[in-house]
Amino acid sequence: MTEPAATRVAARIIENVQRIIRGKPELVRQAVAGLLAEGHLLIEDVPGLGKTSLARCLARSVGGTWRRIQFTPDLLPGDITGVTVYQPGDQRFVFHPGAVFANVVVADEINRGTPKTQSALLEVMAEGQVTVDTETHPVPRPFLVVATQNPIELEGTYRLPEAQLDRFLMRLAVGYPDLESEVRVVLGDRAGETPDDLRPVVDLGALRVAIAEVRALHVEDLVVEYAVRLAAATRGHPALRFGASVRGSVALVRAGQAFAVIDGRDFVTPDDIKDVAVPVLAHRLVLTPEAELGTRSTGDIVTEVLSSTAAPLTARGR
Amino acid sequence: MRTTSVVLAAAVGGMLFAPVFGVPALLLAVLVPALAVLLVARLCDRGAALRDWRPLCTAAAGLLTAAQILWWPAGILTPRLLPSLRTGVTESWRLALQSTWPARPDPELLVFVPLLVVAAAVLGVELVHRLRAPLPALLPSLALVVFTQLYAALPPLPATVAALAYAVPAGTLLVAARPAGARVSWTWVPATAALAAVVLAGLALPDTPPRYTLRQDQVVPLDDTALTNPLDEIAVRLRDPDAEVFRVGGDTLPDRWPLVVLDAFDGVNWTPAATFRWLGSGLEPGPGVTVRVEERTAEITTAGTGGPWLPSQSWPASVRGADPVVVPEHGTLLRPGPPGPARYTLRWWEPRVDVAALAGAEVDPDAPGGLNGIGEAPAGVAVLAREATRGLRPSFRTALVLEDFLRTRYDLAVGTDLPTGHGWPQLTKFLLENRRGTSEQFATSYVALARIVGIPARVAVGFRAPAGATTIRNGDVLAWPEVAVRGVGWVPLNPGGRPSTTPSATGGLAAAAEQARAGLPAPDDVRNPPLGRPGPGAPASGRDGWPGLLLLPMVPLLLWPIAAPAAWGLRARRRRRRAGRESVVGAWAEVRDRLRAHGVPVSSAMTARDLAAAAEPVTDTATGDELRRLAATMDRSLWSGRSPDHEQVEQTWAGVRSVRRALARRGPRARVRATLSLRGLLPPR
Repeated sequence: MTEPAATRVAARIIENVQRIIRGKPELVRQAVAGLLAEGHLLIEDVPGLGKTSLARCLARSVGGTWRRIQFTPDLLPGDITGVTVYQPGDQRFVFHPGAVFANVVVADEINRGTPKTQSALLEVMAEGQVTVDTETHPVPRPFLVVATQNPIELEGTYRLPEAQLDRFLMRLAVGYPDLESEVRVVLGDRAGETPDDLRPVVDLGALRVAIAEVRALHVEDLVVEYAVRLAAATRGHPALRFGASVRGSVALVRAGQAFAVIDGRDFVTPDDIKDVAVPVLAHRLVLTPEAELGTRSTGDIVTEVLSSTAAPLTARGR
Repeated sequence: MRTTSVVLAAAVGGMLFAPVFGVPALLLAVLVPALAVLLVARLCDRGAALRDWRPLCTAAAGLLTAAQILWWPAGILTPRLLPSLRTGVTESWRLALQSTWPARPDPELLVFVPLLVVAAAVLGVELVHRLRAPLPALLPSLALVVFTQLYAALPPLPATVAALAYAVPAGTLLVAARPAGARVSWTWVPATAALAAVVLAGLALPDTPPRYTLRQDQVVPLDDTALTNPLDEIAVRLRDPDAEVFRVGGDTLPDRWPLVVLDAFDGVNWTPAATFRWLGSGLEPGPGVTVRVEERTAEITTAGTGGPWLPSQSWPASVRGADPVVVPEHGTLLRPGPPGPARYTLRWWEPRVDVAALAGAEVDPDAPGGLNGIGEAPAGVAVLAREATRGLRPSFRTALVLEDFLRTRYDLAVGTDLPTGHGWPQLTKFLLENRRGTSEQFATSYVALARIVGIPARVAVGFRAPAGATTIRNGDVLAWPEVAVRGVGWVPLNPGGRPSTTPSATGGLAAAAEQARAGLPAPDDVRNPPLGRPGPGAPASGRDGWPGLLLLPMVPLLLWPIAAPAAWGLRARRRRRRAGRESVVGAWAEVRDRLRAHGVPVSSAMTARDLAAAAEPVTDTATGDELRRLAATMDRSLWSGRSPDHEQVEQTWAGVRSVRRALARRGPRARVRATLSLRGLLPPR
């Protein structure tokens, strides 16, 4: 088994991010997997756990451009996508690119933007391009949106529409660090370490190659079928109003490929699919009102589906 | 251990004579000589000087012990007993074949069994010491097993038990004969499968009589000239009615004492179509008797005027005080040798039957000898038979109608001018012309007419016993027909008697038949009994299947200790024999199922990594690492798109063995429980 080159790229990014984000190796691993899969990340948790720091660390670790958009209620779609401005001297309209024209876009507090503004991200997240005044402008590749949101506040926030959520490859929860890690975070803060101190460890060319390698990684048909069966199992679940989309199945496999690369493998196993199932699928599911009133979360539903869907094995192994 | 196994195999072979002598009679006769051979063999093995003398020493010890055990009641073995010993050695095998089984455990009959066991044990011990391969050492005991089956082939189920009993020492010998340090090879898998197949075959095979047995060629040789036919003597006896024939004593005496049963008729003579055997230690009622039976006993003292025949009953159980020959199907007892007075205790089985049930009973066409040929019956007699039975189908009711026909239309001859003869000419004259005869003509005519219309019947000749009479005289001589009734056996009738005959106080079958006949309507009103009614002794509907049905769930339970390890072994072997990727998958499935059997919760949703994690509570760290390595190998083999090479496959199965060894360290209890666990044999849910 040969270790993919992308594995070394991933290792460098992970090491770099963990200089700031301490005690969260799995979270960093998932975030880097999103980066290698060229999928957008939604980092969701209560305030003060390092969501923005993680997003900034990712952006900082990659050579190339990155922009940060602080979502506020008065943010306009044009601020994101860009606007066309009339140039009297040239007597023509000139396109002024918005904040999304960067390799890494940090969309901080995304749910504070109005739905109208949020929807400005739909096209670019799905297709990597922006259309303004009938003109299409591709964003630089690789293109990654790292959004953060605070799930506990309702005042002044707007819930992300399902179409928007579906465009995120993974939703990550940061969680509280353990005691030791938190002590190290505080000590790092005293030492003045910030994401801005990080230097890029991977240039754009290497990142593009790594992304291409991830996408070409070998996946057995049975593993693909397993991913599809998992997604399909959510569609008929009684606690769900809507199950995972087809994009969800694609995302499962792609995230699984990235996980395999990070583990140094040149093939995807069912365990990779299992590992990414909750972050990839949970935010795509819509609970029924009854389930929403209960204590079950979409993450619980995905875990339940994982434990009831047969893992792939050749028929004779039964 | 090898010597012990060989001797034990010989002892098991000897115990297979159980159908011939019964287990209690064989226990000492087989086990003590075998033990003597074993002890002496072990003793000889301890000293180099004795080793060369081992065959002689073991044989001598075995023979002396066998002889002493068998003739123990006669005291210490002395030259005085040598003739008996010699006769026993040369004749016992034949006498055992000529006897009813279980045979009497007399030394003269039994001695060949311990001798064979000793021979097989001594030969086996020598072979196991002189040859390197263990299997030839089993040949003597195997030959003994085959010989026992030529005597009495065991039915499937006991044969299965016997095979398993023999397999224990044989298997122990094979295991003990392995070279030091050698591991048990995979041969246990086919061995276990063979055992399971034996058990299954034992349960599945029908219990049919053997096609050949040495016994069928062995009967007691009798001097035909000494065998007078009591049927020929009826008229003679009636001319001297006061002569005493025998005396009986007992609490509940029967009303008939048959001497002989005659079921073969060639048109001239009535003879017993029977095989004479020495009476063994006991007889049971025939298979045709399913009604309740009572045990009766009587003391009989004969004057020696009845020839070789001894008064008996239809179903004798045992005789004490005489050493008679018996016809088991007839109950006829015969004492070979010169006639003379005899005194013996007869124990017999008396069927008990309800009169109402008997009246509606069916006849038993399968009763041995009941429908034997009758020669060429004259046309008039056949017409008469159908007229007498009024077109009724064969049943016990029809038999009673026929009895009534003879009773009411024919006269019993008394006085001095008594007709004789029982061939067709005499019977034709009796039936169609003079209509007068003794019980000889009545009985034989009845049987001939009954057989013509399909009623199984035979002639019995003996004596009637008036109520309370203890002395039987010539005037009590009687020939009577017996009709085979389903579930009851042979029921005696009396076509020559008068309806006023006093029923016996004992309530025997003759009395029951008399009462049934008394309950019949007028001859013209008699109808066939309804078909399909359960006869006497027939089990109530649905009851006969219950014991079998109750035992049915026990069958898998009994087979499970053999079938489960066999199933594990066969499946593992099948998985191991696959190639490449499938073999790796098989290895993983094997580990998965072993872990499941040890209580690890496994579901079909688990991947290899999940299972390794789930197994942590029942495995140690090293096993956990092995499981993870195994999981990684399987992932690489299954999902990398590259087929595993031979080395990877071998590594995987080496991992399986490591895991199995680790699980084996959990202790014998856990191992047994896991082996017998059904969960590991079924696919995970």
